[in-house]
Amino acid sequence: MMAASIREKQTAALKRMLNFNSPLMKNNAAEPVWKVLIYDRFGQDIISPLLAVKELRDMGITLHLLLHSDRDAIPDVPAIYFVMPTEENIDRICQDLRSQLYESYYLNFISAISRSKLEDIASAALGANAVTQITKVFDQYLNFITLEDDMFVLCNQNKELISYHAINKPDITDTDMETIMDTIVDSLFCFLVTLGAVPILRCPRGNAAEMVAVKLDKKLRENLRDARNSLFTSDTMGTGQFSFQRPVLVLLDRNLDLATPLHHTWTYQALVHDVLDFHLNRVTMEESTGPENSPAGARPKKKNKKNYDLTAADRFWQKHKGSPFPEVAESVQQELDTYRAQEDEVKRLKSIMGLEGEDEGAISMLSDNTAKLTSAVSSLPELLEKKRLIDLHTNVATAVLEHIKTRKLDVYFEYEEKLMSKSTLDKSLLDMISDPDAGTPEDKMRLFLIYYITSQQPPSEVDMEQYRKALADAGCNLSPLNYIRQWKAFAKMAAAPANYGGSGAKAMGLFSRVMNTGSQFVMEGVKNLVLKQHNLPVTRILDNLMEMKSNPETDDYRYFDPKMLRGSESSVPRNKNPFQEAIIFVVGGGNYIEYQNLVDYVKGKPGKHVLYGCSELFNASQFLKQLSQLGQK
Amino acid sequence: MAVDITLLFKASVKTVKTRNKAIGVGFDTSKDEILKKSRPKTDFSNRAKDVITNITRLKDFLLKHRKDYINAGGLISSEYSRMTDSERDQIDQDAQILIRTCSDAINHLRTEASKNALSAQTKEHQGAVLDLTEMYLKSVCKLYSEQRAIRVKRVVDKKRLSRLEPEKRNKLVDSTSPKTPVISSTEQVDEKAIQDESTDKSSTEIQDNNVALWENGKVEDELSPEEIQMFEQENQRLVSEMNSLVDEVRQIEGKVVEISRLQEIFSEKVLQQETDIDNIHQLVVGATENVKEGNEDIREVKILL
Repeated sequence: MMAASIREKQTAALKRMLNFNSPLMKNNAAEPVWKVLIYDRFGQDIISPLLAVKELRDMGITLHLLLHSDRDAIPDVPAIYFVMPTEENIDRICQDLRSQLYESYYLNFISAISRSKLEDIASAALGANAVTQITKVFDQYLNFITLEDDMFVLCNQNKELISYHAINKPDITDTDMETIMDTIVDSLFCFLVTLGAVPILRCPRGNAAEMVAVKLDKKLRENLRDARNSLFTSDTMGTGQFSFQRPVLVLLDRNLDLATPLHHTWTYQALVHDVLDFHLNRVTMEESTGPENSPAGARPKKKNKKNYDLTAADRFWQKHKGSPFPEVAESVQQELDTYRAQEDEVKRLKSIMGLEGEDEGAISMLSDNTAKLTSAVSSLPELLEKKRLIDLHTNVATAVLEHIKTRKLDVYFEYEEKLMSKSTLDKSLLDMISDPDAGTPEDKMRLFLIYYITSQQPPSEVDMEQYRKALADAGCNLSPLNYIRQWKAFAKMAAAPANYGGSGAKAMGLFSRVMNTGSQFVMEGVKNLVLKQHNLPVTRILDNLMEMKSNPETDDYRYFDPKMLRGSESSVPRNKNPFQEAIIFVVGGGNYIEYQNLVDYVKGKPGKHVLYGCSELFNASQFLKQLSQLGQK
Repeated sequence: MAVDITLLFKASVKTVKTRNKAIGVGFDTSKDEILKKSRPKTDFSNRAKDVITNITRLKDFLLKHRKDYINAGGLISSEYSRMTDSERDQIDQDAQILIRTCSDAINHLRTEASKNALSAQTKEHQGAVLDLTEMYLKSVCKLYSEQRAIRVKRVVDKKRLSRLEPEKRNKLVDSTSPKTPVISSTEQVDEKAIQDESTDKSSTEIQDNNVALWENGKVEDELSPEEIQMFEQENQRLVSEMNSLVDEVRQIEGKVVEISRLQEIFSEKVLQQETDIDNIHQLVVGATENVKEGNEDIREVKILL
């Protein structure tokens, strides 16, 4: 059932694989069986957001190594491989077989391996007398990366091959396009296999999303027809699957909405992704050193890079990743206070115990204190973990706050919200751009692009010149603008410009020192903005399709049902009931802002589940780079 | 859902074999191909596997006797217990010896592994293997210490209930078995079972209290003089009470005997009176008849006159 998150499903599949492809049993104090895990970079990217090193250890994995590294022979241990079936990987596996590195081999291919490559391995195994050592070979169909319970991306390695730039560049060849589409379809297919559902497909006409939908429908159809090898039989769907509802898979093209990827944001996770180095749930920051004490002229100390993993186990993160930033700051402060109170409690207990140890104390008091002490002892690791998380979030949030303050991101956010909701602006765009205090050149470019994208008519030539000059003075690279102009012209021909929905952000006045002096998050001068719920284009489209609402925007979408015997060209859905479960996939890339918007939408609709996926995840500066590449052609 | 293509792979192997035969490329068909090549297992892995089998044996042993050991059949009833305390001690000792040998073996392997000049990867692998084995040992230790904790608690509760004056300071009479080797090894095992740095202080405190528990039990086997005196007094009181009760009972006994004798006499007399009453009854019956006849005779005479 889809109600189990995709993260759980993929983790369960990985764990089963690591248990020599047999189902896990709840066996406490079971004998450990040790094994070695070998993966390529694809496998690493898939595993690392889901399983920490400690969990790998608990499953008996003593060593985890990259496929293309020097590996020593450990001849008495079984090895589990988790790799993509590429030429190089197959060659390396054959080499391993010939060098007799391990006792037995469990080969798991992330996506399905072709027959010819399988024969390559077979012949290498024969040559090395190692056929009996290859104990199991599996196609895992796990070629996608799950980042959240309800969010996935296609890949991290080689993502430039299927990036927005790659899909939209003007000199793309047909073969290139075919390859890109095949890659995307392969991953989506793996995703659906792991999910265990055959959805209804919907997509707009005339863009990359439609191409993906057609291919995906074909692939699903072929697989369902082949009754013997079908991956969607009732056993694979899992027991207790009585949901007669199938999910709807909505495929969208990034070109539908170019403003959201450039938008400045105000929620915690999206901010972290926007301003810090954050990918695959890991933040990399330089350690903030104290005030520089080194004498002038000395070589500056090299700052250490610290990595923080923001995982599913981090309760604070799970609770606040979608909250507006001021709320996050407050909550960190609160957590710190509760932690300090608990720490004091433990210290107090320690001192009490110390006193009692000298008197004899009656039996009852002794056992009572022992109970208190054991609970304190057992809660100590919890407390330490809590402290670590508080430190982590303090560091991260402080770094984010730095950015907000120096770049005046709150001002940009507010302005852009007003632009997108067509409310009145209190400052002219030109002033914003020419303001030397606010924002990097990138920020200004983003702001201008959003203005350009969301305006009903493009600005006049005179205005454009002014803007161009202002932007150039501010140090911006103007090539994205070229591309956006083209895009806008094309989009205008094709359809009405996207509507960005109702109300924007409401400012709650300046954030005075609300928190007491102990707080580290002094947000003086930073506006306390409250997000009002409005639907981004993607969310709106999803709403229309899920609730079967009629809307000129979505009425023309194509409809595919791979389970139907005859494919039809019509876009009339045969199913009239609203969908309970939906998957949104954006071809060309997505970001956390869209994801958060969907999450907020679903919160208001109990009983509905939405998964969000995209071919790649980029933040605004990465997207700007792609746009400037496109604008330079 | 993952798809098992092992059979497909084996089929590919066959295909390749036949293809190679056709081409004429042959591989050495030595006997090794048919028999599974037995890889030489390193000494290290053999020994590590031995430790693991030992730990498993210990676990099975503990689980098998767990029910009897815990004996949920109540505090007092000794008829229902299927395991005497000495048997329990035996189990404890055996378990501890086994745990100690296993952890020694693990440490030994560790030092050996670090001494061997092997590659970094093999070292890491061996280190991880030993960590896993140690974790397994710890989980089995937990089983053991849980059992033990239940037993200790039960003993303590028993003592508490059987005390005459529980408000006194804690003299824990442990009649079962506080022997020194048990104490020191409890400490050892507890130290091994409870892990590391920041919890060390509190854990030593727990152990200190545990040790205090046992130690007090060992040293103060006798009762203090005050308690002796009090017990004596109470004894006296009870004895005199008993005596007076006995006297009273005797008195009552005598009285009862008398009463029964008197009753006998009464019943004799009553029986005698019965015969007399019978006689009187007869006479009275005769007398009434005579009177009746007399009356009739008089009436006859009256008519004649």
